[in-house]
Amino acid sequence: MIGKLSLKNLAGKPGRTAAMVLLAMFLSFSIFAGSLTVLSLQQGLNGLEARLGADIIVVPYEATTKFDVKSMLLQGNPGYFYLNRSFADKVATRPGVEATSCQLYLASVSAGCCSVAVQLIGFDPESDFTILPWAQETYHGEIGFGDVLVGSDISVPTDGVLRFFDVDCRVVAQLAKTGSALDTAVYANMETIQALIEASQAKGLNQYNDISADEVVSSVLVRVAEGYDVESVKNDINLHVRKVVAVRASNMISTIADNLTGVSRLIGAFIAAIWVLSLVIMMIALTMLMNERRREFAILRVMGASRRKLAGLVMAESALTNLLGGAAGVALAALVVFPFSGVIEARLGLPFVLPGGGRVLALALGSLAACLAAGAAISAVCAARISRIDTSLILREGN
Amino acid sequence: MKENRHIGVTDALLLILSLGLAIGVATVFQPCVHEDGSFGACHWAGRAVLGVGIALSALAVLRLFMGSQARRGTDAAFIAFGALAAALPGGLIGLCGMATMRCRTLTQPASLVLGVLIAVTAAVDLLLRGRRG
Repeated sequence: MIGKLSLKNLAGKPGRTAAMVLLAMFLSFSIFAGSLTVLSLQQGLNGLEARLGADIIVVPYEATTKFDVKSMLLQGNPGYFYLNRSFADKVATRPGVEATSCQLYLASVSAGCCSVAVQLIGFDPESDFTILPWAQETYHGEIGFGDVLVGSDISVPTDGVLRFFDVDCRVVAQLAKTGSALDTAVYANMETIQALIEASQAKGLNQYNDISADEVVSSVLVRVAEGYDVESVKNDINLHVRKVVAVRASNMISTIADNLTGVSRLIGAFIAAIWVLSLVIMMIALTMLMNERRREFAILRVMGASRRKLAGLVMAESALTNLLGGAAGVALAALVVFPFSGVIEARLGLPFVLPGGGRVLALALGSLAACLAAGAAISAVCAARISRIDTSLILREGN
Repeated sequence: MKENRHIGVTDALLLILSLGLAIGVATVFQPCVHEDGSFGACHWAGRAVLGVGIALSALAVLRLFMGSQARRGTDAAFIAFGALAAALPGGLIGLCGMATMRCRTLTQPASLVLGVLIAVTAAVDLLLRGRRG
């Protein structure tokens, strides 16, 4: 009976109902969109941390004049810089260096798959300890000559072949998303990169005409031995190996983590502001509505409705509007955050990886529950007031 | 009997969303502009969405002068064309290969969201008009 009467009350006053639904929509939209964004940023940072693998990254000094090494992971560096391989050998002999792995960079002018330059990264599968663990999430085979691994943001043609400098490369696997510049890179072994360097030189598209993958590297990834301090090993490399700059990999992450904390706080403050504002408006609106409906409630009391039933009616109406508004808010937030995740990532400049279906569903249900709980708490206060109304006094008003 | 030509919330919403689709795809969320002046597949996807947007805007204006029964008829067209606008970029016409490119980060999601909203608004309008009889 309460359910039917509540539905009729809501349908009878569409304007009033729409206003209450809209308020509930704001509540659930802000909490779901905000939490999903923060969770995606956190997931992006965790993924990047897991992908880093190396303790120290050594690049030629020349590279630091071209871009900020610390932001290399997020911005990418479609360019190339080289260092004689002998420097990599020098780095490997420094105390505290457990393992080193070299990488060679080459920027494509345009790939067959898209119209922007992509970063081609050559690595040595024998010594690698960063790319292969990442690739093994999706691929367990060999990476032979002409084979490439591509980041998650690169679309693979149906024939699985990408062409760089007129050299066909077979895509053997697509790597898991990190939400960073690593997602737009293409990875190949040193023989493939050498063939691509030669092809770029033959086309006159490489400013370095006389380099060979056997003689040069672009960066040296270092894993520090247990018992050694990473900072000390980094300082030792900077001090004793000339023409290179060693950077702690965790420093790259810490910059991102600092930015993430700032953004998360901002989003948190934004959610709190919307909640306070919406709850205050909801409280005022419900109080005014209840005052306006005092005669209606008094008549219902005279007709035999108990105080408990009146309270139940208010609670049921609130639950219905909050359920409808809450669900609409969650749907609207999903319609904004999921399709526009690429824009959000680009605008924030932080790694952004959407969580899995289970976590999204839990978050959606949590947001809906929070919205319902807030609405229930406010309507409970109003219901308590309604149950205390003096029927005879209200009905005599205006006579 | 004189037909009721009152402009409702859904009529106004359909007009705003259709205009948003047509104007947006030509300005705010237009596809990638290549430096060399060449056109990629995304350009033609954008053109197709623009065509659908203009047709929907014209229909949204025309329906303001129609009676309730005729508006119910146009609702079916809004649902179909809204779904078409959502499916065109990336679904029926290809886009650039890199997920970070403008056509994939802006044109596709904006067309999807506006197309879905147009279809849902028209469906709600159809439902409400059906109840009123």
